[in-house]
Amino acid sequence: MTTVNKRYTLTQSQKMMVFILSMSLYGLSNMITELVPSVNLGPIELSIEYFAFIPLTLCILFHPLYAAIGASLGEIIFGELMLGQFGGFGELEKFIAFSLAMYVAGTFVRDPRNKMQVGIAAMLGVIIHQLISVTVDILKVWVGVEELEAVPGLAESVVVVEGFSFLNDVLFSGILFALLPTLYLVPRLYGKIEPLLGMKPRDRNDRYSLAEIIGPRLIVIGFLLAAAAFIFEYLSEAGFNVEWEADFLDMFGDWFIWVSIGVALLVVITTIIVMVKKKSKTDVTKKQEDKIPS
Amino acid sequence: MEYTRKLADKLSVEQVKIELLNTAYGNGDTFLAKLDPRTLFLWYLFFGIVPWFVHDTGVLIGMCLFMVITTYMAKISPLIIFILCLGLLGQGGYLLVVSLLFGGDWSTMLPLLVLTVKLSTISLASITVFCSMNPDKLSDGLLKIKVPGQVSFSIAYGYRMLPTLLEEYHHVFQSFRLRGKAPEKHGFLYIRSIAYFVKIAMLSFYPLLLSTAKRARTTVEALETKGSMYGFNHPEVKKLKLASLSMKRQDYLFLIGSAVYVTGLFILI
Repeated sequence: MTTVNKRYTLTQSQKMMVFILSMSLYGLSNMITELVPSVNLGPIELSIEYFAFIPLTLCILFHPLYAAIGASLGEIIFGELMLGQFGGFGELEKFIAFSLAMYVAGTFVRDPRNKMQVGIAAMLGVIIHQLISVTVDILKVWVGVEELEAVPGLAESVVVVEGFSFLNDVLFSGILFALLPTLYLVPRLYGKIEPLLGMKPRDRNDRYSLAEIIGPRLIVIGFLLAAAAFIFEYLSEAGFNVEWEADFLDMFGDWFIWVSIGVALLVVITTIIVMVKKKSKTDVTKKQEDKIPS
Repeated sequence: MEYTRKLADKLSVEQVKIELLNTAYGNGDTFLAKLDPRTLFLWYLFFGIVPWFVHDTGVLIGMCLFMVITTYMAKISPLIIFILCLGLLGQGGYLLVVSLLFGGDWSTMLPLLVLTVKLSTISLASITVFCSMNPDKLSDGLLKIKVPGQVSFSIAYGYRMLPTLLEEYHHVFQSFRLRGKAPEKHGFLYIRSIAYFVKIAMLSFYPLLLSTAKRARTTVEALETKGSMYGFNHPEVKKLKLASLSMKRQDYLFLIGSAVYVTGLFILI
């Protein structure tokens, strides 16, 4: 009977495989989502935030810890460092929040063949991740910006922007890019992808020591990680706490603002031109075309 | 119209792949690429963190200029710069539009502009550092600063594999298009076409997941054959592997030069 409740263990090499797999795939998907532009409907941004289904699928099929950390690292390396969008300490918050969310989603599923569990886990992962980042985003502005009054509209706008982006990410990205693809991929990959890495598929009887995971340790670690995430975000967002300099405008003059508006306008016009041209282009993929205005 | 077509040619998947390989291996002959990884890490540690705590606009602009010069020296590919500019513009512009909607005025833009300068300084620093190092050097450097061997290897590996993966993804994507049927009507605001392509983009990951899994296994097996797993955990092996890294005169000169410049900025402005 000892075999029934044995823990799901992997050798060092297998952990490494899961890590590499998760990192390179999620890194690739991140690069693609960075290149595809977002559609803004007024203040509502309809964008492919991330292809969350890749880490979710891997976390459900393999050991969630290594898949989650691999995916976060992949995002930082390929989505941020290589494309020059590295935000310093702020990235640590993303790293922690994302790993935590994916890990929890992965541990939630005990039987990858159970669609109900997979679906709930997919949404759970997205909701946890978005909830953490939204809370941190709102808090950091409310706490961080002392001269909130000096910048009219900023305080309300941040809450509304974050609220919208939360709803957008959960309902739009969450369902389209996490729930549906995960439900599609997990049953198809289950039992097929594991032998490629030389391991047995997870089954109902393999489990991570659940008591250990849901016990006080997870709560304490989760709390500490959330606090750390907040502190790092706050540090990085200390940039908002700028002393307002009146002579800044004199230094650059109004033209400086108009330049940025002009560039934005240029981007919009290019977008429209490309939309019109799209009909005549048949040999270029959609992805490539979309990169132009983005 | 001619211009957009030229731009489309430049932004083909082939081009992106070449640019990525270029970023990884192309600029080994620049001054920055010859420096020791530790020098670059130290340098980045400063320019990646300090700008957050600087509130003086003059100093920030001075730092930003310095970054522009180093970025130029590192011969960064235009694609990466392009993506960086888009990211910065998008972020700033979006916040501005929203604050305007909520009754803010142009003054909202000023803190945002300062923030943008900060962000671009930090981004340029990271581009300069991480694009100047080729994957092997990055991996050795990380190993030297006590990052676990598995992680440092994976980063270098991913760096190297990404162009290949991108190509493979593109092939899968194209074959899906070849076998599938695009919607006959674009629909309102191209909604049908967009939905079709997004669906293919996601479906393409299914074969890719399997082939990448196979590749990951081959890689790890090759690593085992070479005894890398042993090397990750034994200091003597590490020492032997990293013997080629050394701080030379140019490293110290570069660090001192940067320090003098920054101190000068703080004193003068």
